[in-house]
Amino acid sequence: MNDERFFDLAMKVIARQCTDAEGVEFDALLAGRPGLKAEFERLQADARLVREVAPLHAAVDATQPEFPAYARERLQAQVRRTLGGTSTTKRRGWNWRWAFGVAGAAAVILAMLSVFNPSKPVTQVAMLDIPGGIRGADTNQMELVRQRWKDARVFSNADEFAAWERQQPLGRADFAKIIYDRAAAEVRVAGRAGGKSFSKIIPVEKDLAITLDEAVAFVREQFGR
Amino acid sequence: MSAPNLDALRRGESAAWDQAFAWLWPAVFAVAKLKLQPFLPDEIEDVAIESLEALVEKVRDVKSVEELKPLAASIAHHRAVSLLRERFAQKRGEGKTDSLDATTEDGDAKHDPASQDSPLDALAEKELAERLQKSLGALKPPLGDVLTDFFLHGWRYEDIARKHGIAVGSVGVYLKRGLETLRRIWGAREDS
Repeated sequence: MNDERFFDLAMKVIARQCTDAEGVEFDALLAGRPGLKAEFERLQADARLVREVAPLHAAVDATQPEFPAYARERLQAQVRRTLGGTSTTKRRGWNWRWAFGVAGAAAVILAMLSVFNPSKPVTQVAMLDIPGGIRGADTNQMELVRQRWKDARVFSNADEFAAWERQQPLGRADFAKIIYDRAAAEVRVAGRAGGKSFSKIIPVEKDLAITLDEAVAFVREQFGR
Repeated sequence: MSAPNLDALRRGESAAWDQAFAWLWPAVFAVAKLKLQPFLPDEIEDVAIESLEALVEKVRDVKSVEELKPLAASIAHHRAVSLLRERFAQKRGEGKTDSLDATTEDGDAKHDPASQDSPLDALAEKELAERLQKSLGALKPPLGDVLTDFFLHGWRYEDIARKHGIAVGSVGVYLKRGLETLRRIWGAREDS
């Protein structure tokens, strides 16, 4: 009996692949050489390790699924908060730190979550209004939004806003999120329809109402409505 | 999908991070799914997003961009395990966080052997990431596939030999070499 034979038999025993004859052979081998029992136990531990590490290896090498577009803004916001990031696209003087009230600056961010199901669409609206800022300064814009979505929620804390954001998409497979970033003068749209992610950034060039109409139209287009 | 530029990530450039998120997402999602799919499938995507959020500040500490993927995987693993422990502790009563074999939402008894006394769970985030990177690099083809085919897929020596175009007698050699490699990397704590 050589080491290779012992190893192969041990592997088959561990993987429950051995025949009756191989099982008998292996038991006899262990009984005849007690030192092999410790080696067998070590191989069993190795096998347990493989069963934990190999799936992790496969996971790290995974190439699917596609990154969901709706998560982009949340993660980019984290980048800006942590690294003070820079945008490589034209942002028209936008500064996220300013938007979150750093250095006494103020911001009002409006977020609207529209969740659709095939039978009945649901719309949730939320606003982030950082204290100490220009709350209510641009009442026309706020009023415009209120008129359109009267149930809008108001957040005065960026963390609470982020927590609210984390609750999405509320178990729905298809959803859309529209964020009016007043400081950036843009409306951002992201979501998923029919298993595919979508996103769009629409600058508020002249009129917020027109921009919001464009955003809603884009969402409806994604859902074929 | 290629790896982003590390300097651009450290500068917080949004385009580089867009690339990073797309590059890292499959890994963090898959790792979270490994742990959560049997118990908390609705939490997989959220844990994956939180893992990427947590990764952002770590970009300052890595030496190469290649370290990011194992690090992200490690963060996702720990977050998923923490979430499982937290949820099961809630179910069982305050303070009972020692075991993860539990019942599913529908009440069926389930047992997750990968979650109990796991050597992976005992490793700190950074150490798990480092070992993961080492073992990924050390298991040259076809070592990793041979191990997976035998231990996870339950293939026989003959099937593995046919798949990889190697002699049946060589399968055991590959298994032995693969096990030794993993044992060397994962078998002992660096502080022990």
